[in-house]
Amino acid sequence: MRLGTRRRMRLGDAKMRYFDRLHPLSALVYFLMIILIAMITMHPVITAVCYLTAVIFCGMLIGFGKLLSSLAYSIPLMILIALTNPIFVHKGETILFFLNDNPVTAEAILYGANASMMLMAVFYWCRNYSTIMTSDKFIYLFGRVIPKLSLVLSLTLAFIPKLKRRYKEIDEAQKGLGIYAGKNFTDRILGKFRVLSILLTDSLENALETADSMKARGYGLKGRASYAIYRFTLSDLAFLIATAVFGVGTLTFIALGAADFGFYPSITPINLSIQSCVMYCALAILGFVSVFCEIKENLIWRYWKSKT
Amino acid sequence: MALLEIQNLSFTYKGADEAALKNINLSIESGDFVLICGESGCGKTTLFRLLKKQFRPNGELEGSIKFNGVPISELDERASVTEIGYVMQDPDNQTVTDKVWHEIAFGLESLGENSDTIRRKVAEICGFFGIGEWYHKRTSELSGGQKQILALASIMVMDPSVLLLDEPTAQLDPIAASEFLSSLRKINEELGVTVIIAEHRLEEVFSMATKAVLMDKAKIFFSDTPKRAGQRSLSLYEHKIYKGLPSSLRLFHALGGEGDAPLTVKEGKKFISENYRDEIKRIEQVPIDFSDKNKAIEINEGYFRYERELPDVLSGLDLTVYENEFLCILGANGAGKTTLLKVLSGVKRLYRGKYRLWGKKIREYSGVSLYRNNIACLPQNPKNLFVKETVYSDLLEVAKLLPYNKEERAAAVEEVCLKLGIKELCNKHPYDLSGGERQKAAMAKILLVKPEILLLDEPTKGLDAYSKSEIAAILKALQAEGKTIVTVTHDIEFAAEYSDRCAMFFDGKIVSIADKVEFFATNGYYTTAASRMTRPMFENAVTVEAAEELCRLNGKRKDND
Repeated sequence: MRLGTRRRMRLGDAKMRYFDRLHPLSALVYFLMIILIAMITMHPVITAVCYLTAVIFCGMLIGFGKLLSSLAYSIPLMILIALTNPIFVHKGETILFFLNDNPVTAEAILYGANASMMLMAVFYWCRNYSTIMTSDKFIYLFGRVIPKLSLVLSLTLAFIPKLKRRYKEIDEAQKGLGIYAGKNFTDRILGKFRVLSILLTDSLENALETADSMKARGYGLKGRASYAIYRFTLSDLAFLIATAVFGVGTLTFIALGAADFGFYPSITPINLSIQSCVMYCALAILGFVSVFCEIKENLIWRYWKSKT
Repeated sequence: MALLEIQNLSFTYKGADEAALKNINLSIESGDFVLICGESGCGKTTLFRLLKKQFRPNGELEGSIKFNGVPISELDERASVTEIGYVMQDPDNQTVTDKVWHEIAFGLESLGENSDTIRRKVAEICGFFGIGEWYHKRTSELSGGQKQILALASIMVMDPSVLLLDEPTAQLDPIAASEFLSSLRKINEELGVTVIIAEHRLEEVFSMATKAVLMDKAKIFFSDTPKRAGQRSLSLYEHKIYKGLPSSLRLFHALGGEGDAPLTVKEGKKFISENYRDEIKRIEQVPIDFSDKNKAIEINEGYFRYERELPDVLSGLDLTVYENEFLCILGANGAGKTTLLKVLSGVKRLYRGKYRLWGKKIREYSGVSLYRNNIACLPQNPKNLFVKETVYSDLLEVAKLLPYNKEERAAAVEEVCLKLGIKELCNKHPYDLSGGERQKAAMAKILLVKPEILLLDEPTKGLDAYSKSEIAAILKALQAEGKTIVTVTHDIEFAAEYSDRCAMFFDGKIVSIADKVEFFATNGYYTTAASRMTRPMFENAVTVEAAEELCRLNGKRKDND
């Protein structure tokens, strides 16, 4: 029975994802780059590309079923934000109609739509970030800079679940004895206070033992090393370089003015100069590289499966 | 030269009147498996802490402890970390980091090894202990048994030559404990690592040891090979620890066996079949009849689950507990026994099925009426109950819950302290008590609310044999007063000796419930060592005492039999 549960758990964990294997540094740079680009400009093409890739990538990471249920909330929210803008902002030339004697303009609606899409693009990229960049990857990256900090983080993350479990245990123990189990407010507050007080004493006591366990294993000796299970491979380097080239490229073009765009007083036409087109391409490559990597991972697996 | 040489060691804690260790002499060779036993507070932990340089307590030390000829205090800091490993009792508290891989690497990180060395050593250790499957997991997701194996692995990765283990299986269920002990045996046999272990549950570990040391009141009382522990001349058998010794050894001694004692069920079986006749198969006895008694607890078709998406923990549970009986509920770890107690105590409610308490639906008990003069639950970890600085003020605080005036309150506390014999503990901090004392103090706290039904979650966990028998005596006395007792336990020997009826909990239901003798006599695997040892010669010898009686009734085999 024991083996059975273990094996099931392992199968559940082993979802094949390219980004899980990617070195945390490459992944971090990638996410920071795309989130920065998504936030830095209000250009509709850039926003659209960022939003689209964010949503597709999110689907690849968490499964499209879960994505759909998340879109069911986020799309109405997006529409709501888009419609709020013209109620408060009356700039723009193309007046559609008057609402309470205030003009509602096409520019204001489009601006709202663009802004809400940008918001959602950033939201979904952040969500992807947190799916991939688990605490241990974060600790690993920043532990390089400050080794003590990474250990403290690791200790804290080990401590929190213990604390939660103890809280529940103590709470139930107190209830089982019927101490302050009454329904009135003071009883409840007093009850919670008791639980916290026990939790505190108990945690301090336990922390002493944890400190002993650290001492027993040589904590405090000179020349502590920091070990991590990640290795930086050639493909991680290639990914990092690609991210840097296309990301910095896009940012440079944005700085040069290729993504200048205005909504008021009238919408500027979308820039189709060579410079801008190169920028769109660079961004598209940057955005879709994550999606492609995940698709490739799936294809490789199917191919391998069909051969064996 | 011995690996560890302890000579004339005495130790007194700073500010203490009495010595914690008196004149200890012990010599441990490389590759030994040393078992140290004795009731809690006999000085085992003090001895262990003196052996590890990082843990040395403050106090006055006489005599010497030498490791490879070097006094422990003069050992190089680094050598003392790597050479002498120390595993503690609580699996939770000795886990330091949040990930399994990091936990194993922690010691090597401290030593400043380079990444490639760490990677190689961690891989080796994971292979040895079979950790590969949960290598990437969070430590908080592991079971108690896994955590303790992890603690062992993260010490072994530093390649120690001596391993000190202070009651490492006290917090584990029997299956996890036996898995842990077999890992330990592997370390000792395959790697030749010296093992020094302190334990209360001796049934299994006694036969593994090359040397058994019994400590009593700061002194060494017996130190020899386990086989020789069967000698008649030893006063071991009047000792408090006696009940903790393996069943085969106790039976051997009770029957006055000569020579090498049997230490395992297999050897015990051989001893009985070779020496005793088996014409009388069973002791006739009439099980107590409860059918005319009141039903204290009655559950019909009970279902319970924690979350909608999660599976049922109780599914179709039927259970009847009669007034004034002592019922033990046994079952594997994680089967949901603790959940069952939560339901019984009203902390959790069934989502389907009927639960009647004294014939009245549980819902009809409003507010605290369920917990006043009615039902109370003693949690697995008694620490969960204590709030105040001293046992006395803690007890007084509970007494406030009842409609007493000041004098009555003090009198009630006084009475309960006398009853449980914890008068001398009253001024101590609840956290400074030993396991058994803490259990008694928690019991006192529960008794103050004057429950009629007592629910206990593993009351003997981590206790030494003597404390166990004390708790049992208290429970029997309460039963004699008319209380109903329901206990969830892993401790088969305890259930077989003290309960009236036993129930087996499996797959969310009670699958069998019967008088204890009948229960253990019918069970083939899940039964006491005495029962396994005497079968098929005898049919219902579930305790050592019953086995002894049957052996005596049958008489010795003649040589020509």
